[in-house]
Amino acid sequence: MAEDLVLDTAIRDWVLIPLSVVMVLIGVLRYFVSKLMRSAQIPDAKLVKEGQVIVRARNLRAAANFIPPKSFRARRLYYSNEENGLLYVPKGQAPNAQAQMFSDPNMAMDMMKKNLSMIIPQTLTFAWVNFFFSGFVAAKIPFPLTQRFRAMLQNGIDLSTVDVSYVSSRSWYFLNLFGLRGLFSIILGEENATDDTQRMMQMTGFGFTQPKSLGAEKDGLDIVQHDWTMPKFERRAEAVLRKLVR
Amino acid sequence: MVTKSEEDQLNRLEAQVDNAGGGAWEYLCLVRKLKVRRPDKVLKHGLAILNDSKKRSALGTEEWTLCEQVAVAAMDCQSLDVAKDCIKVLRKRFPDSKRVGRLEGMLLEAKGLWAEAEKAYSSFLEDNPFDQVIHKRRVALAKAQGNITTAIECLNKYLDTFMADHDAWRELAEIYISLQMYKQAAFCYEELILSQPTNPLHHLAYADVLYTIGGLENLQAAKKYYASTINLTGGKNRRALFGVCLCTSAIGQLSKGRNKEDKDSPELQLLAVAALEKDYKQRAPGKLPLLTSALKSLRVSS
Repeated sequence: MAEDLVLDTAIRDWVLIPLSVVMVLIGVLRYFVSKLMRSAQIPDAKLVKEGQVIVRARNLRAAANFIPPKSFRARRLYYSNEENGLLYVPKGQAPNAQAQMFSDPNMAMDMMKKNLSMIIPQTLTFAWVNFFFSGFVAAKIPFPLTQRFRAMLQNGIDLSTVDVSYVSSRSWYFLNLFGLRGLFSIILGEENATDDTQRMMQMTGFGFTQPKSLGAEKDGLDIVQHDWTMPKFERRAEAVLRKLVR
Repeated sequence: MVTKSEEDQLNRLEAQVDNAGGGAWEYLCLVRKLKVRRPDKVLKHGLAILNDSKKRSALGTEEWTLCEQVAVAAMDCQSLDVAKDCIKVLRKRFPDSKRVGRLEGMLLEAKGLWAEAEKAYSSFLEDNPFDQVIHKRRVALAKAQGNITTAIECLNKYLDTFMADHDAWRELAEIYISLQMYKQAAFCYEELILSQPTNPLHHLAYADVLYTIGGLENLQAAKKYYASTINLTGGKNRRALFGVCLCTSAIGQLSKGRNKEDKDSPELQLLAVAALEKDYKQRAPGKLPLLTSALKSLRVSS
């Protein structure tokens, strides 16, 4: 249909705005609940030290050119020494972090809690939207879309001839889900547990292993070529002074 | 590090508050944010706010942060009664707080009861071995008692775990310098340069240490680091300029017999001398003859 459908303004008042308001309120509620439920994390000694070692090694890699070559070499040896280098991880020992994560009961509980706090509100809201707001066109997307989006965006609408730009309220829900992230970071400050999309991305890439990052740092350090920038600075200082004196 | 604009703001607020122009709360907040140490002013103005019940209730929950700040300032000024009162109030409000416990430990330190303070801190560390602030308080305790070796030991152990803490490295470097262990101090300054390569103060301190250790290679490295400080501060750092002159003359003295001199060393020294003279002419023209005679003696020996 090439003609424009006229949508009732009542839809805007009673569907779009309440849905957004409800999602914001649920997000705020979740944030406070998660703050209450967060158990005091006792950091593991080894993990803390490894984290700091990585930061220090990264600093070394980044600013290697600022220290004399001898000190750089000494530090590199200190990190990647075969016997007791800080970054050196013998091949057999690298524990599989995933197995570790599932066997450690505390961590498993924490993960479960975080996942629950994300899944339950999402499921409930989605069910609510479906129950109350399905079967009608909710909004019109201002730009044209291809036919492939029909299945995704027009779920409640059973007419196949309606333009794909007219979407159901389910798509408004998804839009809000991803879009309110910016709003939450303004309202709730940086650390908010409502960052579902980030967490979802993290879940898919769960190869977050500590020993691997140590090994990666060690390799990076081995690659670095030391090029002492100090002599260049001498010449640059001359130029600066020359300009100053003139 | 405090930037110039922040320093100006702080001075402006300080002057305003001293002349009874209001704005005491902003001043205290700024002091807290920048972690500057102004115990007498903080004590005076903080107490004024705390004792005035109207202003106190206007603060709401911030009242407790102010109480903590005033307690620390009171300990700094040795008004231990004021500190004890503040801590008592805080303890009543937050009975199980580690933060208040830390303040109590500090009060014991201020009173000079070293053993009790050490016991308190050790018990905190048993509960939470990763409390960075308590570790640092232990180092401060050892240093205040005069046990520099214990302080170094504690600090080294702390840095073994928390090696990305650049304030700790700085403290360790200063302790080593006070004990004249220059090579270790040089290592610490290298760590600092690695973590903050654009901070000229670290380059300057490192150059000073290298110059003090001596030896041709170190002197040449020191000159390079003075040059990089000049680079990073746009030629405004007088100490670096002096450093360059001294290094060049020292290198000249050491390598008098040999012929391998850097091609750009005379230029750098002459330029540094010229910049210094210009600066002194602008700011302290009375001292200019002193400067010229000192520099001339350097030039003669180079």
